Amino acid sequence: MEKAERRNAGLNTFGPGAQALFHGCLGLFALLCIVPFLFVIIISFTSEDSIRQIGYSFAPLGWSTQAYNYVFQLGGALWRSYFNSFLITVVGTALSVAICVLYSYPLYRKDYKYRGFFNFLSFFTMIFGGGLVPTFVVCKTLLGLSDNYAALIVPLLFSPFNVIVMRTFFQTTVPRELIEASTIDGAGEYRTLLQVVLPVVKPGIATIALLNALAFWNEWFLSLLYITKNMDVIPLQYLLMRMQRNADFLAKNAGMLGADAAKAARNLPSQSLKMALVVFIVVPIACAYPFFQRYVVAGLTVGSVKG
Amino acid sequence: MKKVFALILALAMILTASGFALAEDLPTITIMFHGSNVTDDTAVLEAVNAYIADKVGAKLEVVWGTWGDFDEKATNALLSGDTGIDMVFTCSWSADEYNTYAKNGYFVKLDDLIAEYGADLVAAIPESLMQAATIEGAEGMGIYAVNGFKDTATQNCWDVNVTLLNELGYTLDDFKAMSFYDFGELFAKAKEVKGDSFYPFLVEPMVLERMVTGSIIVAGDSGSTNLLSLYLNQDDVSAEGPEGNVLLNKFATEEYRKFAEKMHEYYEAGYVDPSLAVAETSNDTRTNTQKTGEYLIGTQSYAFGYEFSADVLDRGIEVAFVPCTEPYVDTTASQGAMMAISTASEHPEESFKFLALLNSDPTLMTLMNYGVEGVHYNLEDGLVAFTEERANYSPWTNGMGNVTILPDTVDEGAGFRESFKEYYAGAKGIPALGFVFNNEPVANEMAALGTVAAQYALALDAGALDPADTLPVFLEALDAAGMQAYLDEANAQLDAYMSAK
Repeated sequence: MEKAERRNAGLNTFGPGAQALFHGCLGLFALLCIVPFLFVIIISFTSEDSIRQIGYSFAPLGWSTQAYNYVFQLGGALWRSYFNSFLITVVGTALSVAICVLYSYPLYRKDYKYRGFFNFLSFFTMIFGGGLVPTFVVCKTLLGLSDNYAALIVPLLFSPFNVIVMRTFFQTTVPRELIEASTIDGAGEYRTLLQVVLPVVKPGIATIALLNALAFWNEWFLSLLYITKNMDVIPLQYLLMRMQRNADFLAKNAGMLGADAAKAARNLPSQSLKMALVVFIVVPIACAYPFFQRYVVAGLTVGSVKG
Repeated sequence: MKKVFALILALAMILTASGFALAEDLPTITIMFHGSNVTDDTAVLEAVNAYIADKVGAKLEVVWGTWGDFDEKATNALLSGDTGIDMVFTCSWSADEYNTYAKNGYFVKLDDLIAEYGADLVAAIPESLMQAATIEGAEGMGIYAVNGFKDTATQNCWDVNVTLLNELGYTLDDFKAMSFYDFGELFAKAKEVKGDSFYPFLVEPMVLERMVTGSIIVAGDSGSTNLLSLYLNQDDVSAEGPEGNVLLNKFATEEYRKFAEKMHEYYEAGYVDPSLAVAETSNDTRTNTQKTGEYLIGTQSYAFGYEFSADVLDRGIEVAFVPCTEPYVDTTASQGAMMAISTASEHPEESFKFLALLNSDPTLMTLMNYGVEGVHYNLEDGLVAFTEERANYSPWTNGMGNVTILPDTVDEGAGFRESFKEYYAGAKGIPALGFVFNNEPVANEMAALGTVAAQYALALDAGALDPADTLPVFLEALDAAGMQAYLDEANAQLDAYMSAK
């Protein structure tokens, strides 16, 4: 037994030199991912004077919590948008995962007659989009998606890419015999899906959920398009994006606007404040990763193990 | 199972339910502004709606567009025929560019409405502004937007730190006698006194280029980086410039080469902050440094009264603005802020009545712009003193309309608006006033040229690149991207315009 283990271990290990090399490479890669975020945190705690004098730096001349004080003073608007971000992400992810599973499951079932048509229907939208203005007309005028939470959720509910991922996942992990067995045992279609198939594809669902959660959490463009009067529903991302776009616009049009641009620039938040908001945005989603991680890893390996 | 579906259905209903509004007796008209910083407009709209109910016969709603989101929102609303937007900001530099959108039929022609309801409006706005708004639109020659009476003339100034200037042993008069090409000795002295990390020359590179070479922004030219130069007559702006009414390749002129060489010399000597030469940091650096007063000479595209704004007063130094030319009116400035009525609007009459009232009635303009007395501001000896609440209600003053009917603020002092009005009413127009380059026929060339120019122009203007090496390469790249075709088209249009005028 022990011997077998050692032999198996030997199969999956490298010599110490190669080990060090791989660890070094992966460590460097991990560093590349983490350092920018650490930098953002450092900047958010940097004093405005230091930024003005030496720019962004890992070793600023002075520290300050001014940006965070300001963020907390934003009060209502900030917490409201923070809440909105969570609400949109949770509701949106739940609904979109449900829709994705319910759409892709029949596409996986060979006995479904219209598979080809619905496959095409979803696949087609990946290649040809409607364009911005027609989409806007449909969403706003036809569906009434403006100035409400629905406007920030509904347009993202269905993702053809996720449907393809999920369908493939069904195909590789759920053997047809399983469905036959549950039919023979007397389960209806819903029971088969919910109690037999779903537990098997949990890793796939977690992957889809993570992708969707990220999409909803990072979304700001929908707010830009559809939220015009009711600023109570905007997510935190848009609050940050708006600051950024204001600064960009003024920079681009300073020549045209002259003194007005200079006056308007006074109302712009400081650099450190922007970074503080980035911290607010990144932390929750970064915290959510570990929970999804084991499923995502399982999702990646599950196919090969079953073989 | 049914429970799950019922739950999903219920959720879907809740999500869409908030889309419906309650019916009102008066029709609702909606206006979309640019550049606002407004988080709470309830008090203002309440007062406005009480005030306009009889006069306009409608209820007002406002979409407070910000600098960053206006372009997307306005073009989407107009292009999609959104009936929810009645009035929208437009001008010569926004995405819903006045001339183009009027030509393509997105704006209502106002001439009939002006004849019927616009007597007060016509009386309140100078004739020249009405003329500037008269263009060839979808329904023929006419007025397609109400032109705001604001800082309608351009005047570029040197922004001088007088405190430091005196410290160096110069007076403001000494400075006024100098030109851009003589600044070297000032900068050298400033460096000596303030140390090596001090950058005396705080410029907006593109504005500086126009100031030194005496050229203007040509309406319709590539927006991100201007390509065309029309030279001013710097002694009398209403007369023809040294080159005549000809549009030139901005970067191919002798003036430009001379300017770029001198600027490179200043840059090499360490007089210019390197981050000014990078598009991403240029504006941030300039405004941040301006706030601290850590500069000797800057550039400022000036508006009358700018020296009284908090922006300048808070710098902690004495600031003087020394003009390069007298103020001049060009197309860009004379179409700088307008309000159009969307052709999709269901209430064009009420909308126009509102715009006419906004531009001619001081009570309404003050309410919309400065907020409610006792909430957003208090009157001190007839002057407006803003309260803390102003932070939650700061529309873009100049983007709203006729600002000359606003009361004076404490910072500006009594009589300010009167002098403001005189200053701009007296500004002279350049010979090519009214000309807008229709870039549609050469749109492809413009896109390619814009990309090329974005690579070089800012860095050259800021002096970071040596023109001896870069300028020939740059000009060659411009030629390859179709500069000649672009120039020919622009000049053909300008000639046609001038001979028709």
